[in-house]
Amino acid sequence: MIYLAIILGCILGAILGMGAPIISYTYSTYLAIAVIAALDSVFGGISSVLKKNFDLKIFLSGFFVNGILSILLTVLGQKLNVDIYLATIFVFVSRMFNNLTIIRRYYVEKWSEKLEKLKQIKTETEQENKQ
Amino acid sequence: MKKEKIVMAITIGISALVLVAVMFMRFKVVERTDRIAIETMTESELRSELISWREKYAELQTKQEDVLTKIEEYKEEYKSDEETEKLLESELADLQMLLGETDVVGQGIIITISEEKLEEEKLNNEDLLHIVNGLKAAGAEAISINNNRIINRTDIVQIDEMIKVNGKRILAPYTIKAIGNQTYLEGALLGVGGYVDELRKWGFEIEIERSNEVNIEAYTNELSYKYIN
Repeated sequence: MIYLAIILGCILGAILGMGAPIISYTYSTYLAIAVIAALDSVFGGISSVLKKNFDLKIFLSGFFVNGILSILLTVLGQKLNVDIYLATIFVFVSRMFNNLTIIRRYYVEKWSEKLEKLKQIKTETEQENKQ
Repeated sequence: MKKEKIVMAITIGISALVLVAVMFMRFKVVERTDRIAIETMTESELRSELISWREKYAELQTKQEDVLTKIEEYKEEYKSDEETEKLLESELADLQMLLGETDVVGQGIIITISEEKLEEEKLNNEDLLHIVNGLKAAGAEAISINNNRIINRTDIVQIDEMIKVNGKRILAPYTIKAIGNQTYLEGALLGVGGYVDELRKWGFEIEIERSNEVNIEAYTNELSYKYIN
């Protein structure tokens, strides 16, 4: 159900984005930063699902508020002539990597557990055969 | 449990939609912009370029507006010019006809006076003047003597035995053409007090011919003036 919703949303979003009018280059940089913020919250959500403490409210608020805040910070940075967007990108990307490591560890541990179980079953069956 | 799942699916789908839509919008922008050219330029260069392009644009816009207004003006002028040209042309034609500078055709009479049979009597300028005056009085619109058009400045003079019209010598037989009402013209010359009748009494042979197509040639001398201011 959820995977179907995600795939449908992706396809519809792609069509919508292709059909949307072209935004000027300066405004599209804000969009890029919002995209990175949203991706960060997506990876955060996946890792929280794996940790089994996923909360839809937290995920949604993070998804939208982080994006809007990052845009606002970038605007402020441009007004102050300080490249704040570099800092936001740094923070979000480092968090993304953190979450990615959590995800990776989870799946690697799962795989290794499975492999060990298989090995155990194999040795058990072999011992049974010998007996 | 099911309701919660549906809500979750919908919200996550919507967020995925927003994310991907924004990403694709950004992709498009990045694809469209000439990145190599922009990236190799510094910000100040880009700004100066932008300013110069804007100035050029504004300049061209004002120029375009100027040209458009000029075109409108010219169009209006052209229209009025055409109208005045037509008006002037018709007026000029009228005036030329009045002045006798054009060949004219119309109904009228042709008078031929021959003096072959006479030995002593000769036609003189006063006779011609009388005839011309009579024709004018009868409403002749155009008159010529031996193809010399009679206009307002025409002179009919006698120098010894010569008769000169428009400064040119004319010889017998005399042919006087006149355009106008045929009956009126004839009536002015014939009948009691008509000058042709009087000339006939003197022995001149005079023929009067009615014609529906009397061709009278234009005045050929140059019309110019020196003393009129």
